[in-house]
Amino acid sequence: MTPKFSLKNLHKTFGTHSVLRGINLEIFPGESLVIIGGSGTGKSVLFKCLLGLMQADSGVLEMDGKNILKENAQENEDRLKDIGVVFQGSALFDSLTVWENVAFRLLYAERRGRQESKKIALQKLAAVGLKKNVADLYPSEISGGMARRVALARAIASQPQVLFFDEPTSGLDPIFSSTINQLIKKSVKELGVTALTITHDMTSARVIGDRIAVLYEGKIIWCGPAKDINKSDNPYVQQFIQGRPD
Amino acid sequence: MTWIFENLGRVFLAFVATTGRLFLFLLQALNQGLRPPYYGRQILRQIWEIGYLSLPVVGLTALFTGMVLALQSYTGFSRFNAENAIANVVVLSMTRELGPVLAGLMVAGRIGAAMAAEIGTMRVTEQIDALTTLSTNPQKYLIMPRLFAGITMLPFLVVVADIIGIFGGYCVSVYRLGFNASLYLEQTLNFVEIQDVTSGLIKAAVFGFIISLMGCYHGFTSKGGAQGVGKATTHAVVSASILILVANYILTSLLFEQGVS
Ligand SMILES: Nc1ncnc2c1ncn2[C@@H]1O[C@H](COP(=O)(O)OP(=O)(O)O)[C@@H](O)[C@H]1O
Ligand SMILES: [Mg+2]
Repeated sequence: MTPKFSLKNLHKTFGTHSVLRGINLEIFPGESLVIIGGSGTGKSVLFKCLLGLMQADSGVLEMDGKNILKENAQENEDRLKDIGVVFQGSALFDSLTVWENVAFRLLYAERRGRQESKKIALQKLAAVGLKKNVADLYPSEISGGMARRVALARAIASQPQVLFFDEPTSGLDPIFSSTINQLIKKSVKELGVTALTITHDMTSARVIGDRIAVLYEGKIIWCGPAKDINKSDNPYVQQFIQGRPD
Repeated sequence: MTWIFENLGRVFLAFVATTGRLFLFLLQALNQGLRPPYYGRQILRQIWEIGYLSLPVVGLTALFTGMVLALQSYTGFSRFNAENAIANVVVLSMTRELGPVLAGLMVAGRIGAAMAAEIGTMRVTEQIDALTTLSTNPQKYLIMPRLFAGITMLPFLVVVADIIGIFGGYCVSVYRLGFNASLYLEQTLNFVEIQDVTSGLIKAAVFGFIISLMGCYHGFTSKGGAQGVGKATTHAVVSASILILVANYILTSLLFEQGVS
């Protein structure tokens, strides 16, 4: 089976600070992979390289067997049509209402009518458990947890084949975190998408992931089925699971 | 002694690097932004923000400037019995210099800061990345509407400023200094030439471009959270204000050589 994403020996350096030091990883169609690692280990950098928002320095980066390391703006735009993204802080547009945020791609990229777009946006809001009355509010008027749901609704609004989540539970309380975890799990299964989640939250990783990859010092030091992570004898992986301090 | 040259060299290099980055930013914005799709809603919103919502600030500035101009020229000219030149001084200074420059500086404070803060916040909260992932080019969606509205709305504001400034001078001359109303108006209209107004409008368009470009550039390239956005805002206003004053001198001398002035 061709992997959805294939990363070989991927490097990224900022000045003298080497963040990614040879990432090797494959993500297969239909699976939910979670990359876990401490803060500042380069999770968001890896995420942005995969989306083409940042250029990796060297290595191989393929999506559907096609090299995307040196893609141009048009190729990037075409490729991103199939990818829904939820950013670390939700990244909703403050100047637009909730429903306009959800329908953003329909309104601005696909140029569909406002009525039709709103109808779809309301369906997506319902799918993530939000009521109709939030549709006309602005992002500043809703809570962080609701914003995360809206961001998820925006990501699934145009039926993508791939979903990306950057720290979907960061900044949320434990109860809300588990709601979001369940919601992600449900969406991934129902839509049959390939999902990549980046997190430092072990609980979240176990719930969302079919497989887990552990990022440490710029490399993937462990990768395997989520249920097997406890069996890993890598000391750093153990430390991470148990949450021991250094 | 050498530290002077070291520092001078460093400043010079930083200047060259920034100019280069700014130029690249502009080229990219034009390359992307001049091609469709165009975002009508965004353009209208910027026209509203820059053109309409700046009217009070620009209008008040122009009104008081026109009034002061009349008072000061009266003080000066009465010393050699040339009080009749007040109308000429007011209309000429407003249309050619003070209208565009004061409107430019006021709008730089108001709009340059707002643009840098808004776009900078969008940058540090990943909203600009989100735009890209939603198949919307940030240059087209964010930069182009602002450049367009800046270039078109500043001339409009300057026309308003010219009229209000002249009106301010008229009020002071007629109601305070006791000039004849119709004579004052006649003098104003006879004296002003179309080139005086157009040269002011050309300046205004350039100033509008400078304001939008600085606001967008500093916002777009800001990094490092709230502090970074604060810095971007300051840089946008300061650099736009200085560039407006420099451009004003260059434009005045160019227009002067062309015999327009
Ligand atoms: N644009 C950038 N320029 C310079 N350094 C960066 C940039 N983006 C990230 N970094 C650095 O890369 C490292 C990893 O950052 P990041 O991927 O955001 O961490 P996290 O794993 O918490 O998401 C950090 O040390 C950060 O300073
Ligand atoms: Mg991160």
